[in-house]
Amino acid sequence: MTPKQELVLELIARVAKKDKSFIQPAQDLIADLGFDSPKQLELLTEMEDRLQIEIGEDDAARINTVGDVLDYVEKKT
Amino acid sequence: MNSKPCDSNSSTVREALAFSAKNAPPENGIRLYDRRGQNSELRNWSQIQQAAHDRAARLASAGINRGDRLLICLPTSWELLEIQLGAILRGALPVLVAPAAALGGAASHARKVASLLELLSPKRLVCDLATRNELLEFDCAEAAGYSLLTEELFELPVAPNALYSAQPDDLAFLQLTSGSTGRQRAVMITHHNLTQHLQALVHLSSAAPCTPESNIVSWLPLNHDMGLVSGLMMTMYHGIKLTLFRPDAFLARPKIWLQALSAFKASHSAAPNFAYQLCTERVDPAELAGLDLSNWQIPLTGAEIVRPDTCRAFSEKFAPFGFQTNCFLPSYGMAEATLAVTSDQKRQGIRTAPVPRGSSGNEANEVVCNGVPIRDTEVRISSSAAPGTWLGGDEIGEVCVRGPAIFKGYYNDRAATADALREGWLHTGDLGFMSGGELYLTGRIKDLLIIRGNNFMPHELEWIADDATGGGSSERSGAFSVTRGTDGEQAVLVVEVSADKTKGLDQDIRTRVGRVLGLPLADLVFVKRGHIPKTTSGKVQRRELKQRYLEGKLERIAAAQETE
Repeated sequence: MTPKQELVLELIARVAKKDKSFIQPAQDLIADLGFDSPKQLELLTEMEDRLQIEIGEDDAARINTVGDVLDYVEKKT
Repeated sequence: MNSKPCDSNSSTVREALAFSAKNAPPENGIRLYDRRGQNSELRNWSQIQQAAHDRAARLASAGINRGDRLLICLPTSWELLEIQLGAILRGALPVLVAPAAALGGAASHARKVASLLELLSPKRLVCDLATRNELLEFDCAEAAGYSLLTEELFELPVAPNALYSAQPDDLAFLQLTSGSTGRQRAVMITHHNLTQHLQALVHLSSAAPCTPESNIVSWLPLNHDMGLVSGLMMTMYHGIKLTLFRPDAFLARPKIWLQALSAFKASHSAAPNFAYQLCTERVDPAELAGLDLSNWQIPLTGAEIVRPDTCRAFSEKFAPFGFQTNCFLPSYGMAEATLAVTSDQKRQGIRTAPVPRGSSGNEANEVVCNGVPIRDTEVRISSSAAPGTWLGGDEIGEVCVRGPAIFKGYYNDRAATADALREGWLHTGDLGFMSGGELYLTGRIKDLLIIRGNNFMPHELEWIADDATGGGSSERSGAFSVTRGTDGEQAVLVVEVSADKTKGLDQDIRTRVGRVLGLPLADLVFVKRGHIPKTTSGKVQRRELKQRYLEGKLERIAAAQETE
């Protein structure tokens, strides 16, 4: 896992209010980690700020799982 | 300031926009912020009117005529504002549908848009490239065929004589009330409904009426009645100032709402309870140096259940910044009444009463006062046991409303209209009582989940569960909402299964619900076949089911883990 992916895992854990060790790539952000719309936006904003990237809305609309986020970060940065 | 309340009396949107363009001070209009809520641009009402005229003329070239439904799926933007107003000026019926959810919403959003074609038979769908691509990617090619990109529209020629002189009783727009897939309803609102309501809203709080100096800050989505009517339409009609953000800019950084209220000395701003809660949880006071909320005369809270503990926490946290606790204005309303039905006039902050006996299914121990009926509006309580019988004070029954802002029915849905509108009264499906002329809400007769101001029909969850279990149409699940502390209403799903067939089902159903509705489930309960209460005709009794759930009487099998 790259340092950026590690950072994203930390962000997901923090927004989900879970321990980082609990977060797994197969988890669905909404169904398993309880990401309602405020939490979704909190995560996207944190990612944009911390990684200095801009996440397109159409890209975000296709992200469902923790793994999707990790893949996206890998491709984008 | 001692200026008089706003007294515009235009009877159509076209008249109102013309009035504001001509008479409002040139610094009044809409200040619209970008996607991140950082940079803004101000356009005054005259500029907005010109743009709306231009858009009406281009819509005419696109073949949009009087009475045509025009589906619009755009984020909060100049394009959305101009095309929507332009469509109304053209005499067409704009129907706003929300863009896809931030994360993972693409597939279900495509299906939602496609399902609206059937209900509304719109002439076109105005959207951006992202939505068109999403429709193509997720097998909604027919819907994609209706799409008209904003840039395509703007390249069409300006047709002459595009404006229609609407009569007050003509429909102005359709408002979607609920639903992500199937079972959507479109509320028909006339110019008369809207303009009468916008006049009444001036006096939503008689102690702090809306005046020409008032200014409103809103981040509410324009596809939601509160954002559309209390934000855009209210300021357009009275020619006052609107500072407008995209909803996702607020959700990403809740503090920008408070900072805008302070920077523009805003007097009015409305939001559902969850937004106040989000500010108490996510805003760091250390980042708010110099914040001044003392001009905020009307912090309206509505569109979902008002929670006293949220209001208390918000007051406590922001009182040091000049927030006036006594101003909190609970208001009850719905799209079927254009927007508001009652509002609190006492300016004593949130007032509560103990829950009266006999209000089953209520989880709170205190109910919030939602105030008195707004101007020209009547509220009565109808016996839910003996329909047609009006109840006296302090008796719980169905809240019914009559007045000039009550809608004309649901578009293309006679059965639902006949159910909601009876002898001139809107039967809201909400339960409550009147005490001292003020309304208190105790629960709901209608099966509806209201989560963060958004309505969900229980069928939407149940169909997903039945699909996952292969239950088909045999009604083997029941959905309802429960109140979870400061989180407000949360969705619970109860599903009948055979004990040996639960493997993987928990994950499957949760994932499907998340993908389709964007909702996390607070609880997923598996019970044995026959354990969901049903009527003799086989319909799920959701209120009884909820009651048993709350009392811990449902016998779980393969207990699904609760999320926190």
